[in-house]
Amino acid sequence: MEHDLSEEDIEKLSHLCRIACTPEEKEKLRANLSKILGYVDQLKEIDTTGVPPCNSVLEGMTNPLREDESCDTMSREVFLANAPAHVGGMIRVPPVIKF
Amino acid sequence: MHTAKETQRRFQDGEISAQDIIKVCLERIEQQDGKVGAFLSLAKERAYKRAVELDKKRKEGKPLGKLAGVPIAIKDNIHIEGELTTCASKFLTNYRAPFSATVVESLEKEDALIVGKTNLDEFAMGSSTETSAFKLTKNPWDLACTPGGSSGGSAAAVAARFVPIAFGSDTGGSIRQPASLTGVVGFKPSYGRVSRYGLVAFGSSLDQIGPFATRVEDVALTMNVVAHHCHKDSTSVTKAPEDYAALLGSPFRGCKIGVPWNFMADLAGDAKDNFLASLEILKKLHCEIVDVDLEILKTSIAVYYILATAEASTNLARFDGIRYGARSLKAKTLDEVYDLSKQEGFGPEVKNRILLGTYVLSSGYQDAYYRHAQKVRTLIIRQFAEAFKQCTAIAMPVSPFPAFPLGSIQDPLQMYLQDIYTIAANLAGLPAISVPSGFNQEGKPWGLQLLGPQLQDGNVLHIAHAFEQVTQYSHQLPPLFAS
Repeated sequence: MEHDLSEEDIEKLSHLCRIACTPEEKEKLRANLSKILGYVDQLKEIDTTGVPPCNSVLEGMTNPLREDESCDTMSREVFLANAPAHVGGMIRVPPVIKF
Repeated sequence: MHTAKETQRRFQDGEISAQDIIKVCLERIEQQDGKVGAFLSLAKERAYKRAVELDKKRKEGKPLGKLAGVPIAIKDNIHIEGELTTCASKFLTNYRAPFSATVVESLEKEDALIVGKTNLDEFAMGSSTETSAFKLTKNPWDLACTPGGSSGGSAAAVAARFVPIAFGSDTGGSIRQPASLTGVVGFKPSYGRVSRYGLVAFGSSLDQIGPFATRVEDVALTMNVVAHHCHKDSTSVTKAPEDYAALLGSPFRGCKIGVPWNFMADLAGDAKDNFLASLEILKKLHCEIVDVDLEILKTSIAVYYILATAEASTNLARFDGIRYGARSLKAKTLDEVYDLSKQEGFGPEVKNRILLGTYVLSSGYQDAYYRHAQKVRTLIIRQFAEAFKQCTAIAMPVSPFPAFPLGSIQDPLQMYLQDIYTIAANLAGLPAISVPSGFNQEGKPWGLQLLGPQLQDGNVLHIAHAFEQVTQYSHQLPPLFAS
């Protein structure tokens, strides 16, 4: 059982998650996703009226926050060691704004 | 090859030096891993440096750690400071970890000697280790077959006796399924029991780091080292851990074990025969087998592939080519940095899951898919809670199939169905183990799965240990690696 996604659907998704795809990749993704969505459609049969969504597996889990104190977690040198391009201690990227 | 417990004792008693342990270990890997492909990289310098320090420590009469001298392998999605963490992805080919995972710090504090990083499915997404961008890992029991996945490298490294302990991660079965397919013990702790700090996140509400070993005793020893609260992981439980190794020392007197027959109606053939044989052994251990209702688990895979992909699409958004990772050389605009780096860096299965996750979270679909799946997850948790009112642990097979040939499963959905019995433990955050339970006619291993209520990790280990003591399947070595 398939849940047919269109080429346009894949275009939109590819744009949302910022992954460029060739036409062949798009077609493969369309076919795979349609099949998987067809499979997960079985969940429509399950009645979840009045059932709360599971936000945490652990009972009574809170969101523990640390003290709002600034601390150094990583030196600039260590951070930049993995940077694809950097200049003057900053990450270098192509222009963001077109003039 | 010696177990972790034996290795630690031999080192502590002065029978062998840490440097010799590492020398023998690395030699064996160098000679034999060509056939298996378990390792992506070796941390030789780090291992030798620590071995020298450890030998000095022993000579000076200083107290030695619980895992002193034990060589350990780590799945390559867990950080070791200064070493590469690739997640088996082209995107992270040259990424060097700027910090160590809490698990790694805990292990090294107890004098374990980490020797290298193991292969996995890319970003831990898979059940066969075949989606690794770098190499295939073979099953030591049959080199034409996969070791399972996603922690296939770690499973194979232990099965081939390269190391007595290896670490993996389990989001939908990625420790238990490869353990079952390679005839070793694999344990997924309760959610929150072991820190996820330093594990590259895939599905944050599902992921857990856990150990592979050839004995349940070694798993317990390892849990005593890594199962503790971590303030850097906000999902880490504060409840004090049990002394797992001590628990195994007490005699096992049997307990009620639930079997969800209504969920497993499709179980058939050799897998069913092996499972029934395992139940007979549990009965001989004074266990009472009771039928429990877990029919809702038939929805496990559907729920998982909505929630896990949604979480993955969020977690992998950070790989954008800006701050780290392989930035596309073709990118001329900012948008192209994102679009092309991801196109070039991610494999097809990763893209499948990111797009699927994006879809189920997108406007107009979030309620129908994501929120609905979260509600079904609540139903799954509730049904487990009901079942555990009637039993101490639940028994199931790990996998409907033994190790399958490399390349034999091309359809993503068919691959997802491998996880039918393992996924539920991740959805409900339960501790679950795979312990070797026999071999099929081709000599391929089977595993028995035992699950417990949340934070009852000790009980699960105790039952598995008792099962292992009478069957000793985990004592058998793959013929090709028996010397």
